Amino acid sequence: MKRTTLLLTVIITTLFCSSILAQSKFTISGTITDSASNEQLIGVNIIVPELRTGASTNEYGFYSLTLDEGTYEIVISYLGFKTISQTLVLDSDKVLNFSLEENLEELDEVVITKDVERINIRKPQMSVNSLNISTVKQIPVVLGEADVVKSLLLLPGVTNAGEASSGFNVRGGAVDQNLILLDEATIFNSSHLFGLFSVFNPDAIKDVKLFKGSIPARYGGRVSSVLEIFQKEGNSKEFKVNGGIGAVASRLLLEGPIKKEKSSFLVGGRASYAHLFLPLFDIDNSAYFYDLNTKLNFNINENNNLYFSGYFGRDVFNINDNFENIYGNSVLNFRWNHIFSKKLFSNLSLIYSDYFYGLELDFVGFLWNSGIRNFNIKYDLKQYFNDRLQINYGLNNTYYSFNPGKIEPNSDDSGIVEEQLIKKYANEFAAYIDVQHDITDRLSLEYGLRLSYFIRLGQDELNVYANDNPVIFDPLLLIYQGAEPIEVINPGRGGELANFTNLEPRVAMAYVINDNNSVKASFTRIAQYLHLLSNTSSPTPLDVWTPSGPFVKPQLLNQYALGYFRNIKDGDFSFETEVFYKKLENRIDYIDGADLIANDAIEQVILNGEGRAYGWEVLLRKNEGKLTGWLAYTLSKSEQRTPGRDISEVGTNTGRDETELGINNGEWYNTPFDKTHDLALYGNYEINDKWRINSNFIYQTGQPTNYPIGQFEFQGLTIPYFGLRNVERLPDYHRLDISATLTPRKNKGRKWQTEWVFSVYNIYNRRNAASINFRRNQDTGVNEAIRTSIFGIVPSVSYNFKF
Amino acid sequence: MKRLIYILAVIFIWSCEDVIEVGVPSEEPRLIIDALVRVDTTQTVTNVSVKVMESSSFFDSLQPVELDQITLAGQVLLQDVPGSGIYSKDISTQTLMQEDLFLAIDYNDQIFVGLTDFATAVPIDSLWQGPGGLIDNETELTVRFTDNAESDDYYLFDFDLQEFLTTRDQFYQGQSFEFSYFYENELAAGTEVEVSLMGATEEFYRYMEKIIEQSNTDLNLFDTPAITVKGNILNATDIQTISDLSQANLDSNFPLGYFAVVQEYKRTITIE
Repeated sequence: MKRTTLLLTVIITTLFCSSILAQSKFTISGTITDSASNEQLIGVNIIVPELRTGASTNEYGFYSLTLDEGTYEIVISYLGFKTISQTLVLDSDKVLNFSLEENLEELDEVVITKDVERINIRKPQMSVNSLNISTVKQIPVVLGEADVVKSLLLLPGVTNAGEASSGFNVRGGAVDQNLILLDEATIFNSSHLFGLFSVFNPDAIKDVKLFKGSIPARYGGRVSSVLEIFQKEGNSKEFKVNGGIGAVASRLLLEGPIKKEKSSFLVGGRASYAHLFLPLFDIDNSAYFYDLNTKLNFNINENNNLYFSGYFGRDVFNINDNFENIYGNSVLNFRWNHIFSKKLFSNLSLIYSDYFYGLELDFVGFLWNSGIRNFNIKYDLKQYFNDRLQINYGLNNTYYSFNPGKIEPNSDDSGIVEEQLIKKYANEFAAYIDVQHDITDRLSLEYGLRLSYFIRLGQDELNVYANDNPVIFDPLLLIYQGAEPIEVINPGRGGELANFTNLEPRVAMAYVINDNNSVKASFTRIAQYLHLLSNTSSPTPLDVWTPSGPFVKPQLLNQYALGYFRNIKDGDFSFETEVFYKKLENRIDYIDGADLIANDAIEQVILNGEGRAYGWEVLLRKNEGKLTGWLAYTLSKSEQRTPGRDISEVGTNTGRDETELGINNGEWYNTPFDKTHDLALYGNYEINDKWRINSNFIYQTGQPTNYPIGQFEFQGLTIPYFGLRNVERLPDYHRLDISATLTPRKNKGRKWQTEWVFSVYNIYNRRNAASINFRRNQDTGVNEAIRTSIFGIVPSVSYNFKF
Repeated sequence: MKRLIYILAVIFIWSCEDVIEVGVPSEEPRLIIDALVRVDTTQTVTNVSVKVMESSSFFDSLQPVELDQITLAGQVLLQDVPGSGIYSKDISTQTLMQEDLFLAIDYNDQIFVGLTDFATAVPIDSLWQGPGGLIDNETELTVRFTDNAESDDYYLFDFDLQEFLTTRDQFYQGQSFEFSYFYENELAAGTEVEVSLMGATEEFYRYMEKIIEQSNTDLNLFDTPAITVKGNILNATDIQTISDLSQANLDSNFPLGYFAVVQEYKRTITIE
C-alpha cells in the first residue's frame, strides 16, 4: 500500500501546484460533430498552433481546453473532414460546438495534417492501432465481407492462429487476453462461424481502437490488449438508409432523428444466407449467422446525453435435425453523459452482457447449454485542469455468473439425466486514476494506477483435496492425473472462496525531440481474473470461461515498450517503431489429454505456468496522395512454459527428490500463434473518381506445429507420438488480395448512392497450410502427411447502397 | 463431445486436403505392448494374447519383436508363430477377474512391468442400424445398454473396422441409455460388424480417449496439443528402490501401449 500512498501524494501535490499557478485562465469546451449526421466525432484535434498545444475530443465528442486569457488562432481538424480555422478571443469561459463537413474532394485539396500529427507525436500514448472505419471497409477480405478484426491483422503486433481461427492475438498474447468492448460492454466471443468473420457489423461502427500496450488505467481485466469499438449514435438530422448485398451476408442499416437534432435512433442488421457452406451435402442442413445493432440517443440538454445501445448476435447450425448448435453474444447498455462543468465530464454506464452456447444432439438424446453473464456498473470522470493537465478517474464493478453447462434430456425416451454443472460466481471491483500531464514543452507523461479487487464468491459444491492439491504427478508413469477429492463441501452462495487484490501501475512518457520526432516509453501492469478454458490451437465457441479462485490464480502481466515516432514530409508519411517485452505469470496450461468439456472439476486438469513474448514492430504509413497505405512488419517471439512444481509446492511427499516433469518437460515452447516474421503491405490507389483499387500482401512465418517422432499401434489403431511441443513449423504463409471499387459517375448529385466492390482473395491461389496431420490411410494402409488448406483463390462481388 | 467439434469444423469449410512429403524426425525405437485382454465371463477359460512390437519413425513400418519372457497373472505366454510378436495362453477366467493383475516382460536385458484391475462391463441390450447420414451417408448404428447405478462406470466400445468410442456414465448414471454411432464412411450392404462393449478402469478410459484423439485423422481446426500418450507399463530395469527413482531413467526409456483386462459383451449385425 505504501506505493499507492506515495503516488497519490505526488498526484495531489501536482494538482495543487497547477492550480496555484493558474492565473486568469479561461476554458473553451464543447462537442464536435459531423455536420451531415450530427454524429459525435472521436479524437478530433483542437489545436492552438502558436502555443503548440491543444486537446482532442473524447469518446463522446467532448473536449475542454483551458488557456491563458488572450486571442488565439484555433484549428479544428479531423481526418477526412474539412479543417476549420478561426480566431478565438478568450476573455471568458466559452462553449464552442463545432460541426465538421466531410471532405469529399480530399484528393485535390491540401489538408492540413501537420498539426494533427504533431499532437500524436506529443502524446505519451503509444502501442495503439487505430483504424478508420472507411479504411476497414476498403481492405480486401475473403468473400468481400468487411471485417474489423481481419483488418487489424494487417497492422503490426496483431496476428491470429490461421485463416479460420477465432479471435486475434496481440503481441504474442492469447485470444482470451483481449478485452473487447462494444460501446463499453464486454464481448466474450468476437467471431462468427468459427472465426471466418467477426461479430461487428462495420456499418454500425464509428471508431475502432486497439491498445496493444501502454493500456490506460481506465481499462483492466485482460492482459494483452483492449479493442474498443464505438457504435454510431445515429443520424439526428435526417433519415438515412444504407446497406449492402454480399457473397456471404446482406446488411441493412436505418438511422434517423426521433426529434430533430435532439434524439436519434440506429438499427442495423446483418444476416448471412441460410445454407452457407453446406450446399455440397445432399442433406437437410443450415448454417448461418446474424447480428443486430441498435442505438438510441437523447440529447436532454447541453449538459446531459442519454444513450441506450444493444447488440444481439447468433450463429446457428443445424444438420438433419440430428445436431443443432446456437451461440452468440447479447449486450444491453445504458449510458448517461453528464457535464458537470466546462472542466468536468462524466459518464455513467450500466451494462449487461451475456454469452450463450447451446447444443442439441439428437443422436445422444442430449441438450446442453452454457454461458457467462455479467452486470457492470461504471462511473468515469474526466477532469480538464488546463492545457497541460487532465485527470481521469472512476470506479468499475462487475458481477459475473458462470454457467459451465447444463445437461438435459432432449426427449422422454432419452437416457440422459438432467445435470447442472456447478455454477460459479465472482465480483470484480476496480478504482483508477489516470493523469495526463505535460511536464514541459518536450516531456509529457501519462501515469495512473488501477486497484483491482476480485472476489470468487461461494458456490453450491466445492471439492476439497489432500494438501489442496487437485493434480497429482505419477512419478512412475510420468503422467499428471486428477486427484480424488477427499471431501465435497457446500460453501453456499453467500460465502467467499478466494479474493485477490492487485495494484496495477501504468506509466507512459513521450519526449519530443523536435516537431516531427519523438520517443516514447511505457510500463503496464495488468491483472486478469477470468480465463477461457481452451487447449485447442484456437478457441472454440464451446469453450467456457472460468474465474480465478482457490485453484486458479489470476494472470499478471508486466509489459515494457519503447518506441520512436516520426513524421516525414510534413506528415505525408509517418513512421513508428516499437520494441516490447512482456512477462506473464500464472498462465494456465493443461495436463496431457485434459478433457475440458463438461468437466465439473476443472482444477484437476490445470497447472499454472508462465508466458513471455518480445518483439519489434515497424509501421510506415503513407497518409496523403492518390496512393495511401502502409507497410507493417513485426519480428517477435511468444512462448510459454509450465515447469514441474516443487515438492514443497505440491505439499505431498512422494518420496522423490526431484521435481516433477512439468508440461513439455518443463521447457519453454512456442505458443500456437508465435510467428517470427509478419509482414503486411496495404495500399489504396484512387485511379479516378470512378475507380479505386485496394490491395494487400501478407507474408508470415508458418505457425508452430508438431511432427511425430514415431508411431505405435494399439488394437489396430495407428498412433503417432510426439516429442517436445511446437518445434516444427508449417510452411510460410503468404497471399495477395486485390479489390476494386466502382463508384458510378451517375451517383453525383443524387440521393441514391451506390458502389460495387469486386474482390479477389488469395489471387495466386496459394495453398497455405492450415494444418498438417499425420494419419494412416484406411484404404491403402499407408501412413501419410495430409496438408489441409482452407481458402484458395476466392473471388467475390458486393453491392452497397445508401440513400 | 470432442468429435462434435470435429464434425462442425469439417462441414463448414470447403477446405482442400492433399498428401505432401514431409521429413519427420525419429528417435530410438521403443517397445510397444498391446495387452488388452478381453474376457467373456461366460467362458471358463480365456485365450489371452499380447502383441509386442518396436516403434518406428512415422513413415517406416513397425516390426514384431522376440521377447525373452512374458508372464501375465503369473502364467508364461508363448509365441505360437515365430516372428509374429504375438504371445498367448489359455488362462482361467476366474484368475483374470481379479484386482492387481501383473504383467512382466523380459526383453534385451530390460524389465517391463504393468499392473491393472479387472474392469466389468454391462451387456448390450440392443443394437440396430439407424437411418444414417449425420453429414453425408455415414452408416449409423444405435446401441442401447443399461448402466450400473451402483458405480461410476467407464466403457470402451469397439465398433470394428478400427473404430472405437469411449463413454462414461456421468450423464446417464443407472439409466438405460441409447446413442447412435456414425461410421466415418458408408459401409457396404452385407458387411458384418461385431460391436463390443467393454468395461474400463478410469485410467484405461483416459488412455483410450487420448489414443482415439491422437489417431483421429479428420480435419480438425481445433487441434489439441500433440502429445505422447503414455500407458501403464513401466520400464523397471533401473529402479533400485521405489523411494528413489532418480536413477531410473523413466523419462527416456518408457514403453508404449497398455495393459488392461476387461469384461466384454459382443453383438454382431449385418449392414443393410
